[in-house]
Amino acid sequence: MAGFDKLTEKFARRIARGTSRRSMLAWLGAGMTGAATFPVLPVARAATHGGGPTHSPVTAGIDQDPGDRTSCDYWRYCAIDGFLCTCCGGSVSSCPPGTEMSPITWIGTCTNPADNRAYIISYNDCCGTSSCGQCLCNRNEGDRPQVRPQSNNDYNWCLGSQSSVYNCSTAVIVGVALDQPK
Amino acid sequence: MRFLALALALSVSASAVSAAPAAYPTPLPEEPIPTVKALPKAWPKSWVVIHDFYFASILDGRLAVVDTTSANQPLKGLVRAAQFANSLVSRQRGEIYTAETFFSRLTRGERTDAITIWDMETLQPKGEIVLPGGKRQQSVTYPHLFQFTNGEHWALVANFTPAQSVTVVDLDARKILSEIDLPGCAQIYPTGERGFSSFCADGSMFSVTLDDKGQVASSKTIAKVQDIDKQPLFSTPAMMGKTGWFVSYYGQVQGFDFSGPVPRPLPGAFNVGTAEGGAPEWRPGGWQVIAADAKGLLYVLMSPNGREGSHKDGGTEVWVIDPAKKARVARFPLRSVGVAVGVTPEDTPHLIVARADGVIDVHDAATGAFVRSLGATVAANPILITPVP
Repeated sequence: MAGFDKLTEKFARRIARGTSRRSMLAWLGAGMTGAATFPVLPVARAATHGGGPTHSPVTAGIDQDPGDRTSCDYWRYCAIDGFLCTCCGGSVSSCPPGTEMSPITWIGTCTNPADNRAYIISYNDCCGTSSCGQCLCNRNEGDRPQVRPQSNNDYNWCLGSQSSVYNCSTAVIVGVALDQPK
Repeated sequence: MRFLALALALSVSASAVSAAPAAYPTPLPEEPIPTVKALPKAWPKSWVVIHDFYFASILDGRLAVVDTTSANQPLKGLVRAAQFANSLVSRQRGEIYTAETFFSRLTRGERTDAITIWDMETLQPKGEIVLPGGKRQQSVTYPHLFQFTNGEHWALVANFTPAQSVTVVDLDARKILSEIDLPGCAQIYPTGERGFSSFCADGSMFSVTLDDKGQVASSKTIAKVQDIDKQPLFSTPAMMGKTGWFVSYYGQVQGFDFSGPVPRPLPGAFNVGTAEGGAPEWRPGGWQVIAADAKGLLYVLMSPNGREGSHKDGGTEVWVIDPAKKARVARFPLRSVGVAVGVTPEDTPHLIVARADGVIDVHDAATGAFVRSLGATVAANPILITPVP
């Protein structure tokens, strides 16, 4: 299983770096919408509590990785769909205790507003505990129909894990896109 | 427990006797226990099934049976739809089918995938068909991951491991017939008498006919039916008989005739058009963005904030499109952002809108006029509306 995971991860990173057109598209999307407040999917909005923010900001503490990781408009979440692990006992790059990180996932290409690099973000799901229920966020820049699984965030990516029960989603940097947006 | 109930009953009746008012000499009649309601054998055409994805606990998803004419008691009952489930409703069979996934210890343990068969009158389970391999596709619910074929005698179930395949199930015999590999292709559009088609990653459509044992009798690839980069199609079409009408992220409408053994893309794709007030432009948006009525009109949920990534954000208007004329015939403003639309097959059809805030609104499908709201009373996260034809 470990060998398979390694292979999958390598494969995902390679695919990720090669998807030039999509990363450009994602960047354009991010550029166009960067000034606006990112909307979350209305379905997602309906599932969360109304009445304003419920989490105090969580930041990286370094200028090169700006933004509140409990907020749907944090730069790494440009193609995320699910509960933010930062609000669930995990972090932007780690799963909460008691869960298992899915080795297989979908990816997005998001532009870091601080260094203006396009990063490949791997949205590994955390599995084996029921829905976290906190900080539901759905953004779809570069999201394409299910016929392109690696760029579709509607799949439950709790695949290859012991349980397919979904808890939350991370947003892990796995590399820098080959073609830098100018 | 029974003793406790008796003791409570005695103490309550003792105090009640002393307070009995003269104005009501006769007490309310006793009511039988246990009593469980049943639904009519033939559901009215105003009833729909609404899929509640139930984000707060996805493994506890459910279907709501909804009377769209009732403002005060629209929820008629629930059917379990666990863990990214899919469902089918068959009026002719009088049954609802849910394709679900379970773990023996709720979130952990042995995995079982199964189709559960529910009676439409009692909403009680009548049986199940276990799906082998623990590979049923789990995703935010798309209707075309679980479909009928062979005159509703068989069902087709999408699998994703991430290897893609389709399991063919005999609903009459309650057994698995076959599994068909579907590399690089997704979604199931029933085609001809016995078969299906799927969209593939290179923009083609792959089509399969099945023999009477559920095995592949023939297959065909139709190249370039979709430009996934320039005009990606929403995966859920509006079905008009055996014609599927798809709309793209940018409003391009493309029909497919699925009546024969091989699907036929209808010539003359067209756009739903533009309108003022777009910021930056009007585009389809939502989860179930297109519906059809019996007269041959399409209803498309439209967002004025169309841009890259807006395709699931929901819409504030429904545009009525006549595919025969390739023209928009009306614009209906909604009362709030909608995420799913459906049209009832009533004599006076109604447009049902599932809103982002969970409220279900009912509009006159001919005029768009608001008729009634069911409130947020039937589902936490209503994402699909299934009229029962």
